[in-house]
Amino acid sequence: MSTHRYSSEKATIELRDVRKSFGSVDVIHGLNLKVEGGEFVVFVGPSGCGKSTLLRMIAGLEDVTAGDIIIAGRDVTDLDPAKRGIAMVFQSYALYPHMSVRENLAFGLEIAKVARDEIDRQVDAAAEILKIGPLLDRRPGQLSGGQRQRVAIGRAIVRKPLAFLFDEPLSNLDAELRVSMRIEIARLHRELGNTMIFVTHDQTEAMTLADRIVVLRDGRIEQVGTPGEIYEDPDNLFVAGFIGSPRMNIVDAVYLPGQKVGVGGFVIQLDAPVASATENAPVKLGIRPEHLVLTGGENGLLSARIDFSENLGSMRYLHCMLDSGERITVELRGSADLVSEGTIRLTCDPQHLRFFSESGERLR
Amino acid sequence: MSRTARSARRRWLGETRYHLVGLTASLLFLAPLAWSVLVSFKPSLEARQPPLPPWPVEGFSFQNYENLAKFGAGIWTYSGNSLTVSAMTVLGTVIISLLAGYGFSRFQFPLKNVLFVLIISTVMIPFQSILTPLFLILTKLGLQNTLAGIVCVYVTLQMPFSIFMMRNAFDSVPKDIEDAARADGASVFVMLRRIMLPLVLPGVATVAIFAFLASWNEFLAALILLTDQKKYTLPVLMAAIRSGQFGTIDWGAVQSGVTMMMAPCLALFLLLQRYYIRGLTAGAVK
Ligand SMILES: Nc1ncnc2c1ncn2[C@@H]1O[C@H](COP(=O)(O)OP(=O)(O)OP(=O)(O)O)[C@@H](O)[C@H]1O
Ligand SMILES: [Mg+2]
Repeated sequence: MSTHRYSSEKATIELRDVRKSFGSVDVIHGLNLKVEGGEFVVFVGPSGCGKSTLLRMIAGLEDVTAGDIIIAGRDVTDLDPAKRGIAMVFQSYALYPHMSVRENLAFGLEIAKVARDEIDRQVDAAAEILKIGPLLDRRPGQLSGGQRQRVAIGRAIVRKPLAFLFDEPLSNLDAELRVSMRIEIARLHRELGNTMIFVTHDQTEAMTLADRIVVLRDGRIEQVGTPGEIYEDPDNLFVAGFIGSPRMNIVDAVYLPGQKVGVGGFVIQLDAPVASATENAPVKLGIRPEHLVLTGGENGLLSARIDFSENLGSMRYLHCMLDSGERITVELRGSADLVSEGTIRLTCDPQHLRFFSESGERLR
Repeated sequence: MSRTARSARRRWLGETRYHLVGLTASLLFLAPLAWSVLVSFKPSLEARQPPLPPWPVEGFSFQNYENLAKFGAGIWTYSGNSLTVSAMTVLGTVIISLLAGYGFSRFQFPLKNVLFVLIISTVMIPFQSILTPLFLILTKLGLQNTLAGIVCVYVTLQMPFSIFMMRNAFDSVPKDIEDAARADGASVFVMLRRIMLPLVLPGVATVAIFAFLASWNEFLAALILLTDQKKYTLPVLMAAIRSGQFGTIDWGAVQSGVTMMMAPCLALFLLLQRYYIRGLTAGAVK
């Protein structure tokens, strides 16, 4: 019964100065975030940064050391997971091994004391959506990884929760299945419209699925923004380096008077000033591999020696060494197969240059 | 042609040898059991004769069982005692080891590992050596010469193995499954009963079998702690029969008693062996 109350709601999830310590180890350091109703938010960050811990705190599986968690306007900080109206999908699937798929799906509803025929209807509907109808009488042990993950998602959707929490649900699947499940999760979000929080350290998943991405490091939020914002307009070196594959190239440079930047022996004229940069001071220059282009002329920015090249068919990655010893990666498309060794000269449209202070803060 | 014939012959030889060895081994193991059962059906007088041939020559008879039934306070009292003691021991062992195993597996608390090692290490103390203090403690508690007292002793003796076993069983259930049930809306109690219990059932079966066999067959503690003849369990009764009334030993009654004591053990083991083997190997293979 209680499950049905939630069915059409799109719950907001709010974290207010949330902290978590395991003993004397602080894992989450005062985190604030508001997830809008119906939004698909992805938490990304390196291993051990506290993504799972944060998700488990929202689910109620982990105590909150300090701060408040508000779901759909209700303070649930001290509430049992059962009473939060959320559903969680685990990396390990965590299906009940002694129950058939049908029983796995029905378990949550049985607990909520939903009527038998209503349970059957819900389970069949979920099986329909996830195409697991023929598997309903099998045990989890008799399913493939992809099928298990579908059942785990099915178990979450039958309960019609306020919000879904996914903890790296695709990381145990092979590359191909990952892509197709990713698309299915996106489709599921479009159909159900629920609030979803999705944890991953795969940036492709983050970029493709998210309405907004939350980049975490060491229990702190580094940046929150749409995939476009995070990619195009990173707040600091960490975000710039973490999102994007291959990584953004970072080279030492000097900000010169008159909207100019000097790299190695070259100087390039910028279209607009970098307001927060000090003239004649060293800066870190960030350039995405796909923004570097080969040039023969005098307007070069970098001169680099090709170390080795990788051909991916549609494009080619050149791993190069600058005279200063810094390594950069260049992504070339089209006529790229012309060069694969020797020294090349590269340039970049000034609008694609990103500047960071020595301490890693973004200079705008 | 001759090649296939030869390889068929070799296979036949191999299989024959395999079965011969197997048969010999099982005969060796089964012979004493069969002997007891056969002798128990001899007439009382014949059972006292030199034991060859082992089967009844003068026809089957239930005389031995009748003699056994008449002994002391009557066989039903003693069987009842033994069944009560074993059932209570199994129940107590299962409940305590389930709770302790879950605690050791899932909770972090100070001195957890020290405590665990301490419990396990008690198997290194031969319990015969602490019988006197046990006797004194039970007397102080007013439990000496009661079935409840001996149940307490048996349950305690079963603890190291059982807690170890149940901790392993719980350890082999991933934490995520528990969390999934909680996220699915189950209270702690429902989660334990509907999800955890079925998953550790093989461990429970193993613990139960061990507790049953140990308490059903235990002799020394029962002999010392139970002084009233009416409270005897079957092993003590068997010893009493063997030492005989008026100096003679009724071998037939002894064998019928052995047969009777064997039956529940075999039945239980055959009934639960599927779980038992899974329980012992739990966690060995993922
Ligand atoms: N029960 C615990 N006791 C002590 N420390 C813990 C516990 N659980 C997690 N931690 C610590 O908290 C930090 C965050 O862990 P968490 O599992 O949230 O990381 P994560 O971001 O999910 O990493 P991954 O991407 O590898 O899953 C880690 O440093 C971890 O060692
Ligand atoms: Mg994690």
